Amino acid sequence: MSGAAFDNLKALVVEDNLHMRTLLRSLLTALGLKQVYEAGDGEAAFKILCSKLPDLILTDLTMKPVDGIAFTRRVRLANDSPNPYVPIIMVTGHTERRRVEAARDAGVTEFLAKPITAQGLFLRIAEIVERPRPYVRCAAYFGPDRRRRADESYLGPWRRKEDFEKKLEIK
Amino acid sequence: MSGRKIKVPPVPASGLAAKIPPGVYPVFSSADAMRLMRVMRDPETTAQAARIISEKAEELRGAVLDYIDKVEEAARVFDPAAIYEQAHEIRGLAGNAGLIATGRIANGLCRYLDALATANREPEQSVVALHLDAIARAARAEDEATRLGDAVANELAELVDKKLAEINQA
Repeated sequence: MSGAAFDNLKALVVEDNLHMRTLLRSLLTALGLKQVYEAGDGEAAFKILCSKLPDLILTDLTMKPVDGIAFTRRVRLANDSPNPYVPIIMVTGHTERRRVEAARDAGVTEFLAKPITAQGLFLRIAEIVERPRPYVRCAAYFGPDRRRRADESYLGPWRRKEDFEKKLEIK
Repeated sequence: MSGRKIKVPPVPASGLAAKIPPGVYPVFSSADAMRLMRVMRDPETTAQAARIISEKAEELRGAVLDYIDKVEEAARVFDPAAIYEQAHEIRGLAGNAGLIATGRIANGLCRYLDALATANREPEQSVVALHLDAIARAARAEDEATRLGDAVANELAELVDKKLAEINQA
């Protein structure tokens, strides 16, 4: 490994499968992260979030009793959440569209599909570190901007202040 | 980035969504970001991470075989929710265990069971049995050729697509 260890950066791995959890932990340790915390579900993870204040979270989707979607929603919206902006990478084997959309709408920052590759994980972390996305706040959603690309041909619906301004410019 | 409690701004009174740019909310410090990027771009780090993944493969294969025992148990009493649960674990681990075909077939079974559950319909036992048989054969095979089983995975994926099309038409 080329860099020195990161004494100050903290990560949290939320995964009910012990094999996968230790694999993810090992990969983060290989990056030089010294403080990597683990939880087996969203309930335990939220407690660690409050006490350790991680800078990055990797979470599975399907867990019991609290899954990755409910955990993400709590991180983003709960009054007692210590950092609603913390980046969350969802590491999942789910390919069903409705589940992926539900996770996105809960406020997940990035997705990493299983099987895990070093390149895949590093790309997602690089995306968070190098190109942090704006957050969006409205009545129905709080989380990273779900519009990844500016679409010049987008004709509505206009739901944002900037959309409204753009619409006025077009007219 | 750590150490203080950060609050979400209130919903804008205008009713329109507000954008909060990076920097207004806390992000990685530029020093940490640069160091992280340097480490991640280092071929030695990537090689070490790839080694970690590949060293884990045998352990994961053992775990997949345990889940296959469990999914076969769930199939004996034909409990679709339990079958889905175990098949999902298999698809999550199989790829990193080097069991590519096993993972693909398990993914097809999950897609099928999920679509049926969403449509409130009972899955066909024969479709489930075909998948479980193929999952077990691919995962338990000692030789690489049987383990890969791409042709079987492709045929079963076609079967699932056909069944899902039938559900969508109904």
